[in-house]
Amino acid sequence: MQNFKNSRLFGYFILGAMVLFFYALFKVLSPTNFGSPANLYSYFQSSIIYSVGGCGLYFIVVMGLFDFAVGSNIVLSSIIGVILSEKFGYLGFVVGCLGCGTLIGILIGFLYNKLNVPSMIVTVGLMLVFESLAVFVAGGVKQTLAPELRFFSGAPGNIILAALAFALMWFILNYTRIGTYCNAIGSNEFTAKNMGIDVKKYKLIGFALLHFFVGIMAILTVSYGTTMTALTGMSTMSRNFQPLMGTFFGVAFRKYGTPISAIVIGEFIIAIIFNGFVALGAPTTIQNVVTGAALLIIVTLTARGKRGSVVK
Amino acid sequence: MSNDKILLKAEHIDKRFGITHAVNDVSITINAGETRALIGENGSGKSTFCQMLCGIYSIGGGTFTLDGQEMHVKNQVEANKLGVSIIVQEMGTLSGLTVAENIFLGHEDPFMHYGIKDTHAMIKEGQRLLDEYGFNNIRAGAMIDSYNFEDRKLVEIVKATYMKPKILIVDETTTALSQNGRLELYKIMDAVRADGRSVIFISHDLREILEHCDTISILRDGEYIDTVNSKDVNEDDLKRLMVGREIGSAYYRTDYGKPISDEVVLSVKNVSVYGQIEDVNFDLHRGEILGFGGLSECGMHEIGKAIFGASWGRKGTVTLADGTNIDDIPSAIKHSIAYASKDRDNESIILNESIRNNVVLPSLDDLAEKHILKSGKLNKFAQEYADKMQTKMQSIHQFISDLSGGNKQKVVLARWLGKGSDILVLDSPTRGIDVKVKQAIYALMSELTAQGKSIIMISEEIPELLGMSDRIFIMKDGKINGTFNRSETLSEEDLIAKMV
Repeated sequence: MQNFKNSRLFGYFILGAMVLFFYALFKVLSPTNFGSPANLYSYFQSSIIYSVGGCGLYFIVVMGLFDFAVGSNIVLSSIIGVILSEKFGYLGFVVGCLGCGTLIGILIGFLYNKLNVPSMIVTVGLMLVFESLAVFVAGGVKQTLAPELRFFSGAPGNIILAALAFALMWFILNYTRIGTYCNAIGSNEFTAKNMGIDVKKYKLIGFALLHFFVGIMAILTVSYGTTMTALTGMSTMSRNFQPLMGTFFGVAFRKYGTPISAIVIGEFIIAIIFNGFVALGAPTTIQNVVTGAALLIIVTLTARGKRGSVVK
Repeated sequence: MSNDKILLKAEHIDKRFGITHAVNDVSITINAGETRALIGENGSGKSTFCQMLCGIYSIGGGTFTLDGQEMHVKNQVEANKLGVSIIVQEMGTLSGLTVAENIFLGHEDPFMHYGIKDTHAMIKEGQRLLDEYGFNNIRAGAMIDSYNFEDRKLVEIVKATYMKPKILIVDETTTALSQNGRLELYKIMDAVRADGRSVIFISHDLREILEHCDTISILRDGEYIDTVNSKDVNEDDLKRLMVGREIGSAYYRTDYGKPISDEVVLSVKNVSVYGQIEDVNFDLHRGEILGFGGLSECGMHEIGKAIFGASWGRKGTVTLADGTNIDDIPSAIKHSIAYASKDRDNESIILNESIRNNVVLPSLDDLAEKHILKSGKLNKFAQEYADKMQTKMQSIHQFISDLSGGNKQKVVLARWLGKGSDILVLDSPTRGIDVKVKQAIYALMSELTAQGKSIIMISEEIPELLGMSDRIFIMKDGKINGTFNRSETLSEEDLIAKMV
């Protein structure tokens, strides 16, 4: 029984049970407006953007780092991508988003290593810079993706792109040193150093990978919405949190060896809850309260430390 | 097994940490096929010496020459590649990784092909090694987090030895292992020696050293003292060499037949903690040292937590003579109960704090004047009790993390002395502590009981239980399985018979 409780199968079992629970709950409360197969497909499509971001964030959160510049990078990268798409079509769009995203990740990682201050402070500072930069690059104009470049705005384009992102993360975690070393650094940085791991290098790689995934998020975000407007005053901050919720699921289910599935299914659960409240006609504030509470309950039930253990 | 070929030559090795001269011009040679013990008091420099050898610390001065080649290593992996590996006292495996990833951490190259890791081959090879060592209950593909401390230590043994190091350092590892785990480690050490390689073995258990080592090098205050053959010395000789003076009969109590007071100061009734201890009942008497012993995982360590109100989900009652129930830590401290945990660094002290702040911590309410804490008063208080414990320190403002294990323990005891606790629960009070500090702690325990204070001493060391306790309870599977009164005729075999 103890072995089963630590197994991958048990992880999937809990995730599946949570999906069924929330689905059943809202289906009972709102049988007509919620939960048809078409609705579920729609919830899934809306969740995969955040799942992609959650996968990227996993690389740094597992090392004990945070990044509040994700939202500002989504805005900046998508604006750059759209601008480049006007000249180079899909190539400009994809390379613009991914290239800008990754370069920003490298810059954050570099500054974090050089400044030697907490990642939260570095990324909050840079978020303000990137927001202003986005306004400057966009020239104060709303950027619109050309209709002929919207392959990723819906199925199958968005699902193919997200699936490629998930596959990439699975490959990195299981078949490269990066996954092992990120986990090792998060577990004990001093020991990791003594094992010959270049901690600074892998933190920089972690930030670069995160923002490569943010670049993919930028492609999906602007494809879904078709336009992107640059705003200042920390308005991009709210974009950080939904991917982070998926990452919490991933970190929580790491012990079962199922972080990617947990991120994807976790974001799907959050989408079910959001849409469940929409179906019930609940005001947005109530939706946010209940979604936040649901996240806390889920993570508490699945990932809390042993009784008496110190949690920071 | 030792031959005349010099495998390791350490010449004028030196290391300073600030004003502390941790290793002072130490030169030793170790032959191939030799098991060399390195002994000394806490803070004598033996661990620092070994950590320089295996790349954890940079070398302050001098050179290590291994098999004729001068070593210049920056980390453990580089040392491993040259043929030096270490098993450390505390947890040396990393959470969040699989068993196989832990075994091969930093040594993934054989499994990498064009940057891609062959995870399946790594797991297969990890499992092959685990099976070869006889640890086939451990699965190489499982997350390391699903195993207990001892199994993780066994994984660490595989990690440190599978590459057949020329020098294997075993740094106070045996205290983390059960008897079976120790036997496995001894077998591995014997195999290393039989293979013409060498072991450096650090332990405070002198009997273990005499049984398993060929030669013994002694360090004192960072300086090299001597190297002796195990066959030519006994435990008393080693104690004298370590401390620089005779440590003799006063080591343990010598009194027998002292009556135990009828006055009960603490009653433990039907105490259970799920999965740890079951239905434990006993009374603690005034002026008594009550010893708890058993195999690791027998539940004895949980007894201390349960009495101190630190166990989660404890059932049953812990009651003082006046009828006060002790259900949580604040009420335990308020009613004069002290607790020193086995896990000193994590549960007893605040590492990133000064000695002063560690000593005054539970006494702040007593020291405050109208809720105001005056620095001078705190300093005086901390200085008084740190001095009373003869803590080796630069000042009370020094960070406790700079101190050796023995001196950290002195600070813990100074804290409770200062608080004036009447009941002291001491879990493994001399774990990882040298004979000189041990002697001081035993003397303090006798002094405290003479003052009418009572002590519950939980210990994995049978001689300590026999030497210091008025009564001994042996735990097995979470229950008290045997009770013994202090007696000259009581033997280790009597206690062991109730443990297994």
